[in-house]
Amino acid sequence: MKIVIGQGSCGIAAGAEKVRKALLNTNLNAGDISITGCIGMCYLEPIVDIYDDDNNLTRLVKVSENDAEAIANFVSSGDQSAIESLIVTDEDSEFLSKQTRIALRNCGIINPDEIGAYINADGYTALKKALGMSPENVIEIIKTSGLAGRGGAGFPTWFKWNAARQSEGEEKYLICNADEGDPGAFMDRAVIESDPHNLIEGMLIGAYAIGAKHAVVYVRAEYPLAIKRLKNAIAQATEAGIIGNNIFGTDFSCDFMIKAGAGAFVCGEETALIESLEGHRGMPRLKPPFPAQSGFWRKPSNINNVETFANVAWIINNGGEAFAAMGTEGSKGTKVFAVTGKVKRSGLVEIPMGKTLRDVIFDIGGGMKTDKPFKAVQMGGPSGGCIPADLIDTVIDYKALGATGAIMGSGGMVVMDESTCMVGMAKFFLDFTAKESCGKCIHCRIGTKRMLEMLERITKGEGKEGDIELLEELCYSVKDGALCGLGQTAPNPVLTTIKYFRDEYEAHINDKKCPAGECSDLIEYKIIADKCRGCTLCARNCPVNAISGTVKNPHTIDTSKCIKCGKCYSVCKFGAVVKE
Amino acid sequence: MIHLTINGKQITAPEGATILEAAKQNDIYIPTLCYDEAVEVYGACGLCVVEAEGIPKLLRSCSAKVSEGMVINTESERVVQSRKVAMELLMSAHDGDCVAPCQLNCPAHTDCQGYVGLIANGEYESALKLIKNKIPLPASIGRVCPHPCEKACRRKNVEEPINIAQLKAFAADMDLKANSYLPDIMVRTGKKVAIIGGGPAGLTAAYYLNIMGHSVTVYDMMDKMGGMLRYGIPQYRLPKEVLDQEIALIEKSGVKLVNNVKLGKDFTINSLKENNDAVIVAVGAWQSSSMRTPGEDLEGVYGGIDFLRAVINGNAPVIGDKVVICGGGNTAMDACRTAVRLGAKEVYVVYRRTRNEMPADKLEIDEAEEEGVIYKFLTNPISFNGENGKVTSITLQVMELGEPDASGRRSPVPVEGKTEEIAVDSVILAIGQKLVQGDVSELALNNRGNIEADPDFFTTNIDGVFAIGDATNRGASIAIEAIGEADRCAKAVDAYLNGQPLDTRVPYISKRDEKAIDYSDREIKSRLTPKVLPPDVRNKNFDEVSLGFTEEEAKAEASRCLECGCREYYKCKLLGVAQLYDINPERFQGEMPQKYTRDENAFIERNTAKCILCGLCVRSCREVMDVHAIGLMGRGFKTDVSPAFSLPLDQTNCTNCGLCVSLCPTGALTEKSSLQKQVPLNEDYTEEFVEIDGKRASVLVSRYNGKVLRVIPNDELSRSMQLSREELIEKLT
Repeated sequence: MKIVIGQGSCGIAAGAEKVRKALLNTNLNAGDISITGCIGMCYLEPIVDIYDDDNNLTRLVKVSENDAEAIANFVSSGDQSAIESLIVTDEDSEFLSKQTRIALRNCGIINPDEIGAYINADGYTALKKALGMSPENVIEIIKTSGLAGRGGAGFPTWFKWNAARQSEGEEKYLICNADEGDPGAFMDRAVIESDPHNLIEGMLIGAYAIGAKHAVVYVRAEYPLAIKRLKNAIAQATEAGIIGNNIFGTDFSCDFMIKAGAGAFVCGEETALIESLEGHRGMPRLKPPFPAQSGFWRKPSNINNVETFANVAWIINNGGEAFAAMGTEGSKGTKVFAVTGKVKRSGLVEIPMGKTLRDVIFDIGGGMKTDKPFKAVQMGGPSGGCIPADLIDTVIDYKALGATGAIMGSGGMVVMDESTCMVGMAKFFLDFTAKESCGKCIHCRIGTKRMLEMLERITKGEGKEGDIELLEELCYSVKDGALCGLGQTAPNPVLTTIKYFRDEYEAHINDKKCPAGECSDLIEYKIIADKCRGCTLCARNCPVNAISGTVKNPHTIDTSKCIKCGKCYSVCKFGAVVKE
Repeated sequence: MIHLTINGKQITAPEGATILEAAKQNDIYIPTLCYDEAVEVYGACGLCVVEAEGIPKLLRSCSAKVSEGMVINTESERVVQSRKVAMELLMSAHDGDCVAPCQLNCPAHTDCQGYVGLIANGEYESALKLIKNKIPLPASIGRVCPHPCEKACRRKNVEEPINIAQLKAFAADMDLKANSYLPDIMVRTGKKVAIIGGGPAGLTAAYYLNIMGHSVTVYDMMDKMGGMLRYGIPQYRLPKEVLDQEIALIEKSGVKLVNNVKLGKDFTINSLKENNDAVIVAVGAWQSSSMRTPGEDLEGVYGGIDFLRAVINGNAPVIGDKVVICGGGNTAMDACRTAVRLGAKEVYVVYRRTRNEMPADKLEIDEAEEEGVIYKFLTNPISFNGENGKVTSITLQVMELGEPDASGRRSPVPVEGKTEEIAVDSVILAIGQKLVQGDVSELALNNRGNIEADPDFFTTNIDGVFAIGDATNRGASIAIEAIGEADRCAKAVDAYLNGQPLDTRVPYISKRDEKAIDYSDREIKSRLTPKVLPPDVRNKNFDEVSLGFTEEEAKAEASRCLECGCREYYKCKLLGVAQLYDINPERFQGEMPQKYTRDENAFIERNTAKCILCGLCVRSCREVMDVHAIGLMGRGFKTDVSPAFSLPLDQTNCTNCGLCVSLCPTGALTEKSSLQKQVPLNEDYTEEFVEIDGKRASVLVSRYNGKVLRVIPNDELSRSMQLSREELIEKLT
């Protein structure tokens, strides 16, 4: 008997800790209750998995602390009647069953706080195996696997490792970039919170491969739970002799350090990350020299993303060929996506490369949440671009996604339906990059701001002819002139929305209309008298008393008072309130 | 050695050199703003980008190393576009005025802030020299100019504009009193220039062409030189003795003046052309304009400038007791005040709009009223009525103000059926003046009846003949307009004589958004005007009304200047690069990143609104001096350079070494000068050495007209000594 509560940040935010405490207050054996990390079905949190003695799983979803007694009753009596409604549906189960999990293989299954749980799941066997090979051999396996950087750029991992290995110098560093900053992305957080030892093992193999004696995890301070679990895991691994001197009795020694980043998005850029690690202001350095030649403390350094490392142990254990067997010609293995937005089932999705966006959004994600049709998906966060509905069959592959103007990115996937204004969407992401620009180079610091101002004008109905062309000109200039990846990719949301939704821009500029009805300056709320039943609900909910009318008589909105908050629109049960 | 090609030129460079270094060694210019050898490469400005064959990305030449066989283009279309946009973005966020609005609004671009500032410091001689770079008749112009500079003066937003015109007159009067300034004349070129007309336009062109080394003769039809300054402006406003002195200085500087010769009678344009290398026609507009009102030809109806000229020549007509002047400009004011002085009992000024719309100078309007002039606003003459061929009355149509016209002024419209009649002894029509066309029959005229002259080159339909001033294009205007044209024409003629091209492009300069300027921190200090003769004294004679500024008053008034123009204008690297490209930052107009603020210690002044975040100050302070007094703060668009812990600079550990100031490519960091009031001046910088504790230390010395203004430590030794600038200046003087 085992009762496992999903306690990633997502689960805890949904109330998993309350559920755990409530379960501890029942007559259940405290020893049977444990936690795991992120199970992946964020939209169903809190989730409680109940394994019987034969390891048969009963998964309960959207559990509240009030369900504790019913659960305890079910565990002791097997009586399902009180928890029937909590049992996950077959349809929802498909969200996980249709995935292929490698990086996330232990997530939501093992207890992240116990090294033993990881070791039981074949943990650290890959490290042992790797230490028995030459570093060159390890790099060769990674080369065979075709593993590419999962942080977004998709650079071949073996190449970076090899470059760092070849670099002269005794002192080398292996750095993990866990500064996951894209809005809507939480792949790395889930890995660290759910399976920290997998990261440590991948990093140790990497350190061995490049000849580093020091491993550093640069993780954003906004991930306190990840930091806590990682610290705990490092302590356990150190105690177990897996981190430190003469690991597994070999000549290989490696220490570990965690550096909490102070919240700057740009520190996800590798040279800015290094500046920050050294205690400086997080601003990118000029490349070349690349970190492989001169990185942390000007020593050869290799930086990979969390998800990249999370694949390494599996590859060593299963062979490069097994990994390369999945995916397409140019993109091997699997990729983790954080699927969010207007999709029915949101959460972490790991699937083999070569699947289509449709597979993710419709087959696994279940399609749209509302009856509004799918419009586009933003890939790669603020550095990425949008892909419109008619390209839904695009294959998940670095090249194919790049051809649309979007990027694979680190895995953020924001799904939008027809109620999303694409100009507003571009503005949202640009607002993010403009604020997160480090301020160093002109193109990024001022260019993104000026682009944002133009988008703000357009969404306010103050756009003028020539704005689209000027925006495009500025976008290309910023791409060309910005110093680092942040600036070079910042125009992508703008460029792709112009590419696929130019008519929407034109509607804002020429007709002063927002076709999606999202730009508050361009819409007006009205009540259709024929449909209004005079229920007064809208009037009671209006925060500025802009709606007048008597019971059972059609109401009206005073547009001069209306602040366009949309409350009336959302509360009306008769579809009488319309946006124009 | 590495072999590579830059812009088609095959060069070699040592291994490990950057493209920028290689280009520099081969005299190939690549612009930079954040690069300096003293500090590590940074790569922020992105101006040093170049295109390399086979490399898809633009390379920052400050960091990209040369490699064998590299083919570089430093000026490709893509490179230029990238730099252009970078500069447009940069300037869209650079909140500063290169040049003060007063100077920009002066038709002659006189450096008003410069001379006002010098006067504030008591540097009258330097002030006068600066004025004479643009105006050869400053004592006269200072007295009569309607001063467009003052209209643009931002002090008006605090209380009232600086009295710039009177300050100019003050500096010029000081000069006329003793040791009058004479310009240095360049080597004689042997070229001859004839100028027809000795008014402000002709004299100005003569003065500057003479300085450039050409032999200039001015021909004028009147007894004396001065044109409308002499024959159109009354003695009480511009004493002719002042004008005489200034013209004498022009003559003394080498210009030949010939009077009493008239175009068309004594010579023709073509006859002058035969004996000269170039001819400038500056004949002015000497005919009063007609109102096309019935009765204008009656006896007792005079043209404004004709009347004024007659009085100046001592032939004042008999105007009687009741005089009506038609018009609202400065000539109308001159005429009415002259009429008062001639003894007329009732002097009316008839103007079809109201006092607010009168184009005349406000001071003139007020002073005329003090002298007894009666204004009849919102009236317009519809007929001059007479008996026996002599005017006896004037019928006025009563007007009211209607909708604003194109100029923004409300246009007067007649009130149907409402008229008024005034009995008069004489009428003076001061409504404008025009060219006497018969005089210039050799030249092509435009549809307004004025000489057609190219607005940039001042050329006419005859090769080698140029035309300027009231006689050209849009017709009569104010003297300073003619002076500005004459100055530009002198350059055009000089280029013509030397067979060289003339660059007429207007170079880009940065201007602040007038609407966004906050004056709330400025102390109210009222405008000073020179004392004047009391109205009941002055209305009886032609003595000069204004008594001019005393030295004390002049200094106090000049000290009110807000110092709008940038002190680093003359050595601003940012502006230099901006002017290389045809930029239009208005395309990207938007929010300014920083507030316009000033932070200062004893030597250094900071203004973050002008900062371009090249980081040179921060990096040099850290990397070279190891002081860390300043750093970068904030993120994104709002990033700024701030002293440590956001303290004022003088509360940090800044050692005043001045390195940051010398590296700042713009006016964000300025080393204060030894002047009390800071002034943007075109200083000469030289490296000099001072002995300190037996050691020789290098300093950068700036001088203006020989006076040491700034001394900036210039080597490791001088920077490390924490020297007081006062001591250094003393050592050097």
